[in-house]
Amino acid sequence: MNTSKRDRSIPRRPLLWLAAALLFTAPPMFGSLVSWVPCVFLLALAMKFWMEPRGYRLRSAILKLLLALAGLVGIFASYGSLKGIEPAISVLVLLMSLKILEAHTTREFQVMVLMGWVLCLCGFFLSQDFGIALCLLTAFALLFAALIQFQRGFSHGAFWPPLRTTGILLAQAVPLVALSFILFPRINTGLRFQFRLIRSASSGFSDQLSPGSIAALANSTAIAFRAQFPGSKTRPPGPMYWRGVVMWRCDGMEWRAPSEVTSISHSTRQSPSGNTIKQRITLAPHDAHWMFALDWPFEIPPGAILARGDYLWSTQAIRKACRYEVVSSSAAAANELTPAERREALQLPSSISPAVRELAQSWTAQNSNPRAIVNNALQFFRTQGFRYSLTPGEYRKNDLEQFLLHRRVGFCEHYATSFATLMRLAGIPARVVVGYLGGEYNDLGRFFLVRQADTHAWCELWFPDAGWTRVDPTAAVAPGRASLDLNSFLERRMGSGQMEARRNAFMTQLVRSALFTNVRLALETLSYQWDTRLLAFDADVQEVLLDSIGLANRGPIILIAEILIVATAILVIYFGWMQLRAHSRADRVKALYERFCERAARLGVRRDPWEGPSDFSKRAALLLPNESERIGQISETYIALRYAPKPAGLVLERFAKEVSAFAVRR
Amino acid sequence: MKARKLPLVYPTAGFAGLVFVLGAMWYAASSQNNAAVYLLFFALAAVFFVSIPHTLINLTGVTVTLESVQPAFVGQEVSLPVEIMNDSRATSHGIELALSGSNRERQRIDYIPADKAARITLRFPVQQRGEHKVDTLCLTSAYPLGFIRVLKRFTPSQSYFVYPKPAGDVHLPASFERRGDNRGLTEFGEGDDFSGMRAYVPGESQRHIDWKAVARGQPLMTKQFATEVEGVVYLDFSALHSADVEEKLSQLALWVIEAERAQRPYGLRLPGTEISPGVGQLHFHQCLRALSLFQVRSLRSGDPTVSGTGA
Repeated sequence: MNTSKRDRSIPRRPLLWLAAALLFTAPPMFGSLVSWVPCVFLLALAMKFWMEPRGYRLRSAILKLLLALAGLVGIFASYGSLKGIEPAISVLVLLMSLKILEAHTTREFQVMVLMGWVLCLCGFFLSQDFGIALCLLTAFALLFAALIQFQRGFSHGAFWPPLRTTGILLAQAVPLVALSFILFPRINTGLRFQFRLIRSASSGFSDQLSPGSIAALANSTAIAFRAQFPGSKTRPPGPMYWRGVVMWRCDGMEWRAPSEVTSISHSTRQSPSGNTIKQRITLAPHDAHWMFALDWPFEIPPGAILARGDYLWSTQAIRKACRYEVVSSSAAAANELTPAERREALQLPSSISPAVRELAQSWTAQNSNPRAIVNNALQFFRTQGFRYSLTPGEYRKNDLEQFLLHRRVGFCEHYATSFATLMRLAGIPARVVVGYLGGEYNDLGRFFLVRQADTHAWCELWFPDAGWTRVDPTAAVAPGRASLDLNSFLERRMGSGQMEARRNAFMTQLVRSALFTNVRLALETLSYQWDTRLLAFDADVQEVLLDSIGLANRGPIILIAEILIVATAILVIYFGWMQLRAHSRADRVKALYERFCERAARLGVRRDPWEGPSDFSKRAALLLPNESERIGQISETYIALRYAPKPAGLVLERFAKEVSAFAVRR
Repeated sequence: MKARKLPLVYPTAGFAGLVFVLGAMWYAASSQNNAAVYLLFFALAAVFFVSIPHTLINLTGVTVTLESVQPAFVGQEVSLPVEIMNDSRATSHGIELALSGSNRERQRIDYIPADKAARITLRFPVQQRGEHKVDTLCLTSAYPLGFIRVLKRFTPSQSYFVYPKPAGDVHLPASFERRGDNRGLTEFGEGDDFSGMRAYVPGESQRHIDWKAVARGQPLMTKQFATEVEGVVYLDFSALHSADVEEKLSQLALWVIEAERAQRPYGLRLPGTEISPGVGQLHFHQCLRALSLFQVRSLRSGDPTVSGTGA
């Protein structure tokens, strides 16, 4: 008790809570920072537990300075600069690690908790994925538990009670959070600090398609986008081809999109034909301009253009989750091809080997009808022992002959590029489209989830009678791929022994089990809601909402004042409710007895603070002989109510009556 | 004891840090138009707001009662035995009690269950003799988050005496009436013969306390080795030759203790006051109280910086 506060070490229990919270701030760091930084952070946490009970701490200022300098140099060496968000966060994480090693007072514990919240903030800068957000929000909540445990000291219970209090606080905060999230003015400070994440673009997309570039994504579970069909109850019939980019430039097995994206002018834009379908797409940020839509988009969202080849292209890089609506038609209108386009759609590299040219010419010689040529080519893929594989081996861009005539093992990009090249050789205008195929339906959230693994490449051929028409050569090799997302397709293949097992049996079992699937679907739904409801609710969406509920014209200060008034009202309600709960029956008894004492004092008998009720009653009865009977009765009832194990409810009523009667008589 | 005013709520030092972090979050959220960071910002602010009624509720129904305060000698510590009662239906956590004044030591109680009481003792040294009023007691709690603190002030009505510091090197004066033989008055309490046990008198040396008896749970007793001396002694202020009043009072206080220890009837003569000879606890305290109040008129406040006479 006599030890001064400054030298008391931090107790173990709150430290444990703090450590648990800080552990949850680590995952986003591991994803985005140089990995030694979060390692140092975790090491510091572990060291703290070894040091604290032994009374060790980082005391020497010189050592601290040296460590901080070493950290700075390390970060500079890893990133090549100290500018940008990642080096800045790395510096912060290192400083936090030093603080953990140094902290030893009560005030510093609070400082560590506050720094923990700053780490949560940094985590959201690094990633806003639902999983990461879940980690960060857990850390955020556990930091409250750490503070509460710190205040509780050695009270009974170190696990549930602080968690319970945290839960109550968070639950009570929910209305306030919801209110301010919707209404709090999102003032743009104008002090925008722009930063670019240095991480590699998460999308597998680029404007170039080379052999192996899509197969490399086949194991990526990262989310590309999610799609809903708001207009219709069901999914569109047939396989879902989400078009992303159209490639015109052929270089053997390597294809490329035009380096400059040109917009289709409104006059030449196609009128919709076939079925139209409206899609609402929530796109994961990928730092590039790609946007996706089914088939042939014609009603495009603001901020996007319809590029030549009928695909969407965002005018600005997509750096945060965005949501847009687009209407597509299932078929393209039959337009005439301009001479320039025809030239472009038939361009071929000079490096194509004679054997490949011969192959294409053999089909044109048989039948000059383009559709017959296509059928012949597909028949060739179907019957000549081509295999569909995730690991087809290495191909270079000139290995067309190697692929078509010798190895015959490939993934979708191999088939799409070689097929389109063959068609051009046969004189049919062709282009390659890269996008996504399929998607997993989520029953709970009623949306389709499209992952990076669903990236797909296919061809579009131009027929004089029908215009651009989709032809997917992969479907000829691997029938069934088109109707499923890649994972389900691979699982089926694995089940029937057609495909080498890429995962071990246990994992397969686990992934297939119903419980796992349900949990996964539920998490994906939550994740979808997080992205669409929460992350997408930015200043612009808020403005629309405020407009629709008629609050748009108020100034930000009035709005903040109104929020504060409502918040205060909510707090008063909480306070009143808690007061009611905290007040026990004993309080009422005591209050009544105090009233009795006050009245006795008015009659001249003041109860001393140390005087027990029965002593006082004896004394008061002697001094106030007229009231002695009543005084005795009141004191007796009081003692019974206060100290008897189970006084009846009626007694309290009687006591109240007695006390008030005592006042009226004089 | 009733709380003096409505409870006061004020921010702690950690609050400044919280405001800083909230500001950083708001800045980051608004400059990036980032909904997730906004969520974090609102959640932190809202939980903080919601914690305010929790902090207030934590101290409702908690009352403080000061029990009787034992007198102390100058230079010793005064102990204020305090009972903190929790009359509410819920456990109260993280309660701190301190006397008002900036740098007084805080005593902390981690929890008091519903309808239970906790006892703590506040100790502080005293430098001024006289009768002191107990300072306002400040009951505070920062539970649950520690960013704001609620303060309830209780003003006790009790006061306590601080006796002059027993000191001096003049022997106890010889008695006027001496009965029996000529045994000397040497070294009270320092004789060789164990002559029995008696109650410990506050202020005297702890050397002869029977600690074994204390360990058995018995009250503090002192082994007495003094040679029995009989006869009434008068402790006279004017008989002392020192110039300093405090020094004289210290000498008298020492004599009172020695005489009481020797169980020898003693009387006290102060200018304007005389206490007739006697012996025993009541008499002992009466004498010391007279010494402590000598030339001190008003009730002193417990704050040592407020000076009285003879400082």
